[in-house]
Amino acid sequence: MLGFWRSSYSLFLLISLVPYVSAGHSFENTAIVRTVELGGSVVHVTTTYAVKALEDDSKIYTIALGEREHDSTSWLVAKIKGESTPLSVEERESNGNGPQLYDIKLPSPLMSGRTTNIVVETAQTHVTYPYPEEASQKDGQSLKYEADLLVLSPYDTAVQRTKIRSPFPQIHSYTEPEVEYTQDAPVTKSGATLTYGPYKNVPGSANARFAAEKQQRIAVHFSYDQPVLEITKLERAAEVSHWGANLNIQDNIHLRNAGPRLKGHFSRLEQQSQAFFQKPAPHMLPGLTLLLPAGIHDVYFYDIVGNVSTSKLRTAPSVPKGSQSNQFSVLELKPRYPLMGGWNYSFTLGWDSPLADSAGWDRERGKWVVGVPIMTTIPGTVVNEEELKIILPEGATNIEFFEPFPAIETELSTHITYLDTTGRPTLTFSYKNLTDKHSGIIYVAYNVPFSAHLKKPIAVATALMGLFVLAFVWKRVDTRIQKQK
Amino acid sequence: MTATTAYQVPANLSPTTVANTSSLLRIVALALISGAAIASRLFAVINFESIIHEFDPWFNYRATKVLASEGFYAFWNWFDPTAWYPLGRVVGGTIYPGLMATSGVIYSALRAVHLPVDIRNICVLLAPGFSALTAWATYMFTKEMKDESAGLLAAAFIGIVPGYISRSVAGSYDNEAIAIFLLMFTFFAWIKAMKTGSAFFGTIAALFYFYMVAAWGGYAFITNMIPLHALALILMGRYSSRLYVGYSSWYAVGTLASMQVPFVGFQPVRTSEHMAALGVFGLLQIIAFAELVRSHVSSKQFQTLLFASVIGLGLLGTAAIVGLTYKGWIAPWTGRFYSLWDTGYAKKYIPIIASVSEHQPTAWPSFFMDLQFLIFLFPAGVILCFKQLRDEHVFVIIYAIVASYFAGVMVRLMLTLTPVVCVTAAIAFSTLLDTYLNPEEPEAIDEAPKPEASTSAVAPDTSSAPTKKQKKAAPPPAGSTLAELVTKAPGTSKRKTGVFGLDTRLLVVANAIGMLVFFVWHCTWVTSNAYSSPSVVLASSNPDGSQHIIDDFREAYYWLRQNTAEDAVVMSWWDYGYQIAGMADRPTLVDNNTWNNTHIATVGKAMSSSEEVAYPILRKHDVDYVLVIFGGLIGYSGDDINKFLWMVRIAQGVWPDEIQEPNYFTRTGEYRVDDQAPQTMKDSLMYKMSYYRFAELFGGNQPTDRVRGQQVPKTGPTLDYLDEAFTSENWIVRIYQVKKEDPLGRDLKTANAFEQGKKRKRTKPSPRRKAIA
Repeated sequence: MLGFWRSSYSLFLLISLVPYVSAGHSFENTAIVRTVELGGSVVHVTTTYAVKALEDDSKIYTIALGEREHDSTSWLVAKIKGESTPLSVEERESNGNGPQLYDIKLPSPLMSGRTTNIVVETAQTHVTYPYPEEASQKDGQSLKYEADLLVLSPYDTAVQRTKIRSPFPQIHSYTEPEVEYTQDAPVTKSGATLTYGPYKNVPGSANARFAAEKQQRIAVHFSYDQPVLEITKLERAAEVSHWGANLNIQDNIHLRNAGPRLKGHFSRLEQQSQAFFQKPAPHMLPGLTLLLPAGIHDVYFYDIVGNVSTSKLRTAPSVPKGSQSNQFSVLELKPRYPLMGGWNYSFTLGWDSPLADSAGWDRERGKWVVGVPIMTTIPGTVVNEEELKIILPEGATNIEFFEPFPAIETELSTHITYLDTTGRPTLTFSYKNLTDKHSGIIYVAYNVPFSAHLKKPIAVATALMGLFVLAFVWKRVDTRIQKQK
Repeated sequence: MTATTAYQVPANLSPTTVANTSSLLRIVALALISGAAIASRLFAVINFESIIHEFDPWFNYRATKVLASEGFYAFWNWFDPTAWYPLGRVVGGTIYPGLMATSGVIYSALRAVHLPVDIRNICVLLAPGFSALTAWATYMFTKEMKDESAGLLAAAFIGIVPGYISRSVAGSYDNEAIAIFLLMFTFFAWIKAMKTGSAFFGTIAALFYFYMVAAWGGYAFITNMIPLHALALILMGRYSSRLYVGYSSWYAVGTLASMQVPFVGFQPVRTSEHMAALGVFGLLQIIAFAELVRSHVSSKQFQTLLFASVIGLGLLGTAAIVGLTYKGWIAPWTGRFYSLWDTGYAKKYIPIIASVSEHQPTAWPSFFMDLQFLIFLFPAGVILCFKQLRDEHVFVIIYAIVASYFAGVMVRLMLTLTPVVCVTAAIAFSTLLDTYLNPEEPEAIDEAPKPEASTSAVAPDTSSAPTKKQKKAAPPPAGSTLAELVTKAPGTSKRKTGVFGLDTRLLVVANAIGMLVFFVWHCTWVTSNAYSSPSVVLASSNPDGSQHIIDDFREAYYWLRQNTAEDAVVMSWWDYGYQIAGMADRPTLVDNNTWNNTHIATVGKAMSSSEEVAYPILRKHDVDYVLVIFGGLIGYSGDDINKFLWMVRIAQGVWPDEIQEPNYFTRTGEYRVDDQAPQTMKDSLMYKMSYYRFAELFGGNQPTDRVRGQQVPKTGPTLDYLDEAFTSENWIVRIYQVKKEDPLGRDLKTANAFEQGKKRKRTKPSPRRKAIA
């Protein structure tokens, strides 16, 4: 009896919730255009919503991402078309199934009948996979991208279309769906661009039922002539030293070629003749070019078995703070062996840079502020996991930090290294699925009292003094019981 | 001052000033020598990087990492299942843990004071650090032989002499790195104990002997040197209670301590190598007892009786030892020991020992290369020791004779000769300098003795350096001043001979300094050119003169580490076992700890047999990858084809019916890899793996093996049971994967032929097809 009541109660709740979820008929989409830029491990999606308000004072516009799309989206920013300030986006509590909703706060409430264009940019990771899954050294590389056909929205949509652009002209195959919202061909291909749509009069679709009944999966099989890279784990440690006026950044990088697994075996002969004819296999990574900050010195590149001597570095001098200069130190980094599909290579890369380049004294707060980049971007590469440690000088207090986007986890701990007595405060940030969109800078503000600066010299001086006193005593105290004749 | 001097010496210095200044100068000199010793060993780090060198150090490094990360007890009980697959190795009980323990202690101590130095850097820099200590220990030792100035010279010599640097450059993280310091310090403590009759120094000697036992298998050298010295002193009639106290305290404490090392265990009482020490210990007790009785009874007959019983007991003891050996209670000499007496022994009976290049007899030029002008001064120093022949000089003489012999037998024992050469050369050189720097000129007429003549009566009169011995014989009073050292003291004995004038002195001294300068040049050159190569990394130069690093070993090992299953078994010749374990972190069949001859012979057999014979062996041992070193492309001569005959020989030792060395030579007895190579050679797995697809690299031109300077056939060998998995950039390391059995139950050769037959129908030929055509 009780069970029946409970189930019917939940049924009632569900019924009362459904209109709420899909409701808010305060808007109508006059048009949705989604552009997908295909890539290796990162796919950029830009969706433009042409929006018309149906009620006065409509402030919150809600967008929806399909379940799978939501899982693979690692970065999302919404803007009013033509403006650069991002709008605030809030993720709604999810009930675990069905599309995920996001509330976008418009800069000014819209009157009924007024329109605006909202641009939502997202970066998706791990949405393509190599197909075929194995390729020999001579074969090319092809990837498959899978996505939902329709753009979901809690509002009715007059017309929507999806453009999928491939960076390389060859598209092997693509899904031709049967869609009830159009009379024309559901998909057209021109060059390297596929256009799904236009689909007209799509009803409010941000609910589980629509996803189950109307939504379709489409797949695009395209050739991709660059290695697909992912960094399975990145550990970055940034150590701030006031005594050395130095900022040391060290990355432990676990790099993986996520392209098709190498079929058969690696033949050096093949690789060398390909290099000779300058036709390297598209899924092979011979080396990387990294843009490191200007003004760095003492760059090191090693792995578990020692120094890797195959890298070249061109340093640029430090640039004055605040100037928008595009000066970089360029590091051409070559792994010990060419990275074939499915191969791993883990290494450590680090450098020193003058502290003045990235830190300064904030007069208003009366604090030191240091900026640490979250990562060194390798274009088109996804960082599956990152752990960023910022090690502040010993004795730093009043620590505050300002991050460009929230981390999964933040932790304050103590790190003890050379000649420390009490240890250095350390901030640890954890991230997942970072793309080139995530290249921000974390600013950390802190105070270092004068006495903290003196800790180290006093500790060293005391230790040496102790040694001398011991030696002094040792020399002058006679421990012999019997005096020598 | 009545004596004429060749040059002016400041006379009115207070004795304390002189003592303090000379003490300060000594400290500064020793500090500089330590600096030079450490700095000259850093060539390897500067030219390459901070990396562990060669083969054995990689194991020591790996073991040290276990010790540092898991603690001493885990290390002590460490069973390594990845070595000697599938047998495994009880590491804790089969190593000398002294080296790892030393690094572990340094590592923990530095961490305790918040200096988190990387364990690798500690391992790399351990040998240079200990070389500074060796210089100091040699100084102390030589000081006992002659004086401080000779000590400083000896310290400087051992600091930079190539014979010692060859084993102690930065990165050469091997037992010898700390053992030479321990050797010299144990000897110093022994001399001190023997001279003073101090049980304290005897115990110090025992403790350092224990450290040495824990650190290096060469401890047997000390185990036999000290008894030999004691025996020689007894035979020379120089028995004294000092000798008794020194030796007994050393032997009793040292032996008990050495038995605590698991790898040594009961060997000190059960093997022949240690019996000399035990025998001399027993002899000393008998003699001491006899002395005791003699001091109480003064009958001549009793003395003869005693003499007879001493002889009798000695004979009885020897007979007992022989009898116990015969009964098997005491293990007879080991093969390694025999190979010291008969240089052909190893090649005949234990080819594994003979196959190591450092076990070959020493070539004459290497004496000059390793010791330069010290080797000329060496005999002079020994003769000077004979001239004085105090108890400690007997030690140096015995050491010189024994070590010279051993250094002639085995290249690696050059290391034990080097310290004594430095000591004796320093004695000779400092005697030369003493003679020619002495400002006093000889006189025809006798002079009145100096008013402040010190205790010169004790010193035996020698023409060259009388002063220093006075200081030795009697504890120097506070007034052992510079003036006394260089001017006044020589006057105490009347000099009939000597050097006249300044020109002769200048000539000889300038010549001597010239020798020293050339020595320094030579040492620097040898160290930087011959002894500072990590051998893991090879260096060549680019056309523009810049250094080009050939890093194939690490490339391949790292590939194995990153891209193969963690339990994939790698088979290679035993030379690379430690490196694979250390760098690639994969199980190996055999490694440089060559304890199981049969296992090594199995690998040798697999390498030297044809694919069909080798395949079952590989599969039975779960081998996933086979690694060979091939230098034919860039001319790296230390490759496996050049080592191949040793594999054949070792395999032949176990399977004489299946593997025969003559089959690998041409009919005219040549070792060839070209068209004329015998079929057995061409069929062998080693040959096939080395030259697989090598000819294709030349694009139709005549392929040439640059190591052997021979032209290999244009049609290369084919492989049916193995598959190329990885080849490094310069083709030095080639890794093959062992194929699994055919799923259809065919043998792989048939399966392969079938595959290719199928492919033949296609229009586009596959690469393998091309290889055959």
